Amino acid sequence: MAEVDQLLSKKVADRYLKREVLGEGTYGVVFKAIDTKTGQTVAIKKIRLGKQKEGVNFTALREIKLLKELKDPNIIELIDAFPHKGNLHLVFEFMETDLEAVIRDRNIVLSPADIKSYIQMTLKGLAFCHKKWVLHRDMKPNNLLIGPGGQLKLADFGLARIFGSPDRRFTHQVFARWYRAPELLFGAKQYGPGVDVWAAACIFAELLLRRPFLQGNSDIDQLGKIFAAFGTPKPSQWPDMVYLPDYVEYQHVPGQPLRTLFPMASDDALDLLSKMFTYDPKARISAQLALEHRYFSSIPPPTEPALLPRPPPKKESVNSKVSDFNPQDGPTVLSPPRKLRRVMPQREGFDVNVHPMDKIDEHGNEIRQTAGEKSGHAPMSLDFSVFGMRPPVRPTINSADRSHLKRKLDLEFQLPEEE
Amino acid sequence: MAANFWTSSHYKQLLDPEEVDVVQPLDKERGITLEDFKLIKLHMSNHIVKLAQHVKVRQRVVATAITYMRRVFARRSMTEYDPRLVAPTCLYLASKAEESTVQARLLVFYIKKLYSDEKYRFEIKEILEMEMKILEALNYYLVVFHPYRALTQLLQDAGMNDATQLTWGLINDTYKMDLILIHPPHLIALACMYIASAHKDKDNTAWFEELRVDMNVVKNIAMEILDFYDSHKLITDERINAAMNKLPK
Repeated sequence: MAEVDQLLSKKVADRYLKREVLGEGTYGVVFKAIDTKTGQTVAIKKIRLGKQKEGVNFTALREIKLLKELKDPNIIELIDAFPHKGNLHLVFEFMETDLEAVIRDRNIVLSPADIKSYIQMTLKGLAFCHKKWVLHRDMKPNNLLIGPGGQLKLADFGLARIFGSPDRRFTHQVFARWYRAPELLFGAKQYGPGVDVWAAACIFAELLLRRPFLQGNSDIDQLGKIFAAFGTPKPSQWPDMVYLPDYVEYQHVPGQPLRTLFPMASDDALDLLSKMFTYDPKARISAQLALEHRYFSSIPPPTEPALLPRPPPKKESVNSKVSDFNPQDGPTVLSPPRKLRRVMPQREGFDVNVHPMDKIDEHGNEIRQTAGEKSGHAPMSLDFSVFGMRPPVRPTINSADRSHLKRKLDLEFQLPEEE
Repeated sequence: MAANFWTSSHYKQLLDPEEVDVVQPLDKERGITLEDFKLIKLHMSNHIVKLAQHVKVRQRVVATAITYMRRVFARRSMTEYDPRLVAPTCLYLASKAEESTVQARLLVFYIKKLYSDEKYRFEIKEILEMEMKILEALNYYLVVFHPYRALTQLLQDAGMNDATQLTWGLINDTYKMDLILIHPPHLIALACMYIASAHKDKDNTAWFEELRVDMNVVKNIAMEILDFYDSHKLITDERINAAMNKLPK
């Protein structure tokens, strides 16, 4: 009951010193704060109550529910939650930047060891989720946050779900399109951790190429891009494919050798990549097995997180006049507008008409911001198909034989204990 | 699945019976006894089941809602947290947490339809305010495991497919008690299966013995369930009303 005492004695709003606003998300404002209890810098999400009188935002609730269960060095930590002035506030550890910022920064050179480190941390976080039967379902570089010590952590669990019940049907409208696994594009309703592994493979490829790997501009086009890269899957490669709800036959195209697609990658990297990009989700490598792949034990060893290249702090604060003139801020990295975008569960990736490399210039951030706003609200993975399911009619023990039963239960247990 | 449970917040939050059977000081002042306390929780469990039938949610949502409600009253007084408001709010919160959202206005509609007693009637605003307070009382832990999850597999393994309905019904009834706050759900499932096999005169002793579980615990749960069926016969509306009347308002 110590937990309860702690809760009661907590002076919620007094505990955190509010600092600058970091961004505006779909479900509220995010601001930086200092936890006076620990001296730690934190990011606080203020959850706005929904306009349609639906209480605590559904996406926020999902995030709370899952993050309370997921404590791992490679998963964002939900430190605290509290109501204040009628709004729910979520306290997260403060993260400086995200993997998208790293990938897009032309001044950053990523060595093979750096790439190995980033993808290893990604897979570690993912393996932990999967061990806990949680699907992330929104893996993409700007949901992979990078902390002050260079550690990469999975964030934004607003689309995540617990899986494991065999009969569960999920929506296939998850992930930003470029990271969507082929089974999702074919409308699969029952899928597993393989969807996250596919997305992790796309991120791996993106680290190697320094641009999104498969940039489809519609679901059909996305499949086209996938097939153009790896070849149209044959039924022998993926037997269940033809039974998927939205399956359509594609004209057969041959794949390209991975070596051609990723000329700079090592053989081990390509071998792991090919296992993560396996068409048949049943044959696709798991996050755990991927971590055990020889790519991670062969040279070069992954770079220590603290030594990983990251965008320089100075550039990050360009947009924030407040911090430029605030000497107290010192070299603290201000979260850039892309962080702001991260807190919006944006589902459609970037605006497809904007070439990602164009977005890096001085005005880029603004462009991206608007693209984020435009994408509107997230599709929910509400599963209406299960609404109608009812438990069987409840039979009860209403006969007079309860005491008889009790005697019987008691008796039966005397004997077996000898064995 | 089991590995998942052992590292979950649900497992870490399991309580001893002595911790569950505590009437909060404020409630004691109002003359609420341990027996009243249990009766009110039973009555509120039924309230949730009744509402759930109208708004049509899965059994899992009902089970989670009742678990939330029981967890709340292991920590908060009924004097400050009106059970008649806590119950529907728990159903509302559980429906969201279990991904089968029920609109608050729908709940309010059915409450008004089902209850003429003003004490049961609440506005949407009150439910939404209570939702926040419940989240806090639960310390934001929302994932709950239930005995249903392992049941199908266990029944099949024990060759007891014919007892599915009976066992399922028994499990439903365990939510009228505090078992879910005290025992790991798979043990509750086994206890219900144990009762079912005795009821069906099926000797499954060997199967139960082969499980790596403490059968004494399973047996005790089974006995507690049967005790509950015995005492349940004696519960009358008068007794429930008498307990409910000790609440404020």
